[in-house]
Amino acid sequence: MNRTIIRLSAQAVLGRRRGIVLVLVPVALLLLAVVVRLLTDGDVGFQATAGLGLTLALPLVALLASSAVLGPEVDDGSIVYLLAKPVSRHVVVVSKYATAWATTMVLGALPLALAALVLDPSLGRRALALGLGGAVAGTAYSALFLALAALTRHAVVVGLLYTLFWEGVLGSLLAGVRWLSVGAWGRAVAGEVSPLLADEASTGLVYSLVAAALVTLVTVWFAGDRLRSFTLRGDE
Amino acid sequence: MTDPSAATPEGRSVIHDLGYRPYTGPRLGQGAIARSLVGTGLRNAFGLGRSGRSKVLPFALLALNLLPAVIVAGVMVLVGLDSLPIGYAEYASTTQVLVGVFVAAQAPVLFSRDLRHGTIALYLARPLGSGTYALARWVSLLGATLVFLVLPVLVLYGAALLSELDVAEQTRDVAVALGLVVLLALSLAGVAGLVASWSTRRGFAVVATIALLLIANGIVTAVQGIAGAEGRPRIGEVTGLFSPYSLYRGLMSAWTGVEAPTPPASTGMELAYVAVLVGLSAACLGALVLRYRRVATS
Repeated sequence: MNRTIIRLSAQAVLGRRRGIVLVLVPVALLLLAVVVRLLTDGDVGFQATAGLGLTLALPLVALLASSAVLGPEVDDGSIVYLLAKPVSRHVVVVSKYATAWATTMVLGALPLALAALVLDPSLGRRALALGLGGAVAGTAYSALFLALAALTRHAVVVGLLYTLFWEGVLGSLLAGVRWLSVGAWGRAVAGEVSPLLADEASTGLVYSLVAAALVTLVTVWFAGDRLRSFTLRGDE
Repeated sequence: MTDPSAATPEGRSVIHDLGYRPYTGPRLGQGAIARSLVGTGLRNAFGLGRSGRSKVLPFALLALNLLPAVIVAGVMVLVGLDSLPIGYAEYASTTQVLVGVFVAAQAPVLFSRDLRHGTIALYLARPLGSGTYALARWVSLLGATLVFLVLPVLVLYGAALLSELDVAEQTRDVAVALGLVVLLALSLAGVAGLVASWSTRRGFAVVATIALLLIANGIVTAVQGIAGAEGRPRIGEVTGLFSPYSLYRGLMSAWTGVEAPTPPASTGMELAYVAVLVGLSAACLGALVLRYRRVATS
């Protein structure tokens, strides 16, 4: 890993406008948790809040962070100055991934656990489970989106279609989609840690962890490989 | 040494008439420029007149959006149902993710590129005001969104008519659905255009628009569900005012009788829903005009 690249990527992620939206997403989630807490005393709102957090807020944060570390540089062509440095392309990608991953953990997975705590402070294990599930899913999400950013200019749209259309719309219609759905793996991990979150249509702990790890490693390596044979294209 | 700038040694310069003529034909004004800008913008939103690679995304999204309608039409023809399995207005609500992604992805094409590359100066050098430019871009986006939303409705309508369902009834339903779709397109185009002109980074504008639209919708839906379950529909009704999709869903439920959590119960509330949709659109348009006026003077 390269400390300078990490510093530069962190600036790109938390640069003014992107930083505002990145912070707004978890703030909205926590706000929802507070509103739900005020509206109900029971457990009605937990499902809705956790669902929104895991299926929407977490992937969006991961997408914003991952596309920020690579997308703008590829877009305006300034990536060639970075690639011209005597640093291994894989080191470049791993450093950028570290930044995106840390952002996803702090602004994506941690707020999930906090929202669960706001909803019911006595159920600490459930909050921990949700946070862990979010961490597993966020790890795979940020790697996947980073590889997309290295692969195509339309990385953000493809990433959105993957999470919202494939995992969201098709996932609710076709149960088999869960085997190829990062979000479902996160939910499976959360269900293993806390029985309150258990779901009969789970992908199983071992499969989920292995799949998430595999996706992370392969996509990060793939992103490095894409940068190794990078060709700069003009704007469309 | 004679003056080198003089054309002849004696300094007697001569202007020769080489026959150059200025343009004396009719000069089209702002309206004509705006009209052609709207036309090109509409084509560009679908990648027409641009590179082949930029056609892939809008047409792939359009195909995905039309696919369920075509399948429904096929089932209607083959099985011979006596009613459509999905309502005209319900369709846009079911495919809201695709609609959102399309608007968010194509708004930067119209709004960000000129700002990022500085080509906005070339437009504004013509007799085209910054406000008119913003308005023309917005109309293009609105038109593209309408094409995206109306096409599946027309496919369903065609299938219904070809299966000889009641024409009067179907036409009335389609008219209501078209009205609703126009309201949705107005607000979506406003929000997406404003975000795209605010942030000139393409990828970021897309995610920011989607985050704004879908997270607001997710929060509103969650609160509406809880308010309905707790037996306090008034809270759900008021919450519905805070996201374009929930406004659309509420009006759809009130006007077509499709099930939705806590729809507006009174006429006053329905009017408020319409007013918020139109007002949101007008506010976004006003902000767009202001944004481009600032760009033009800086």
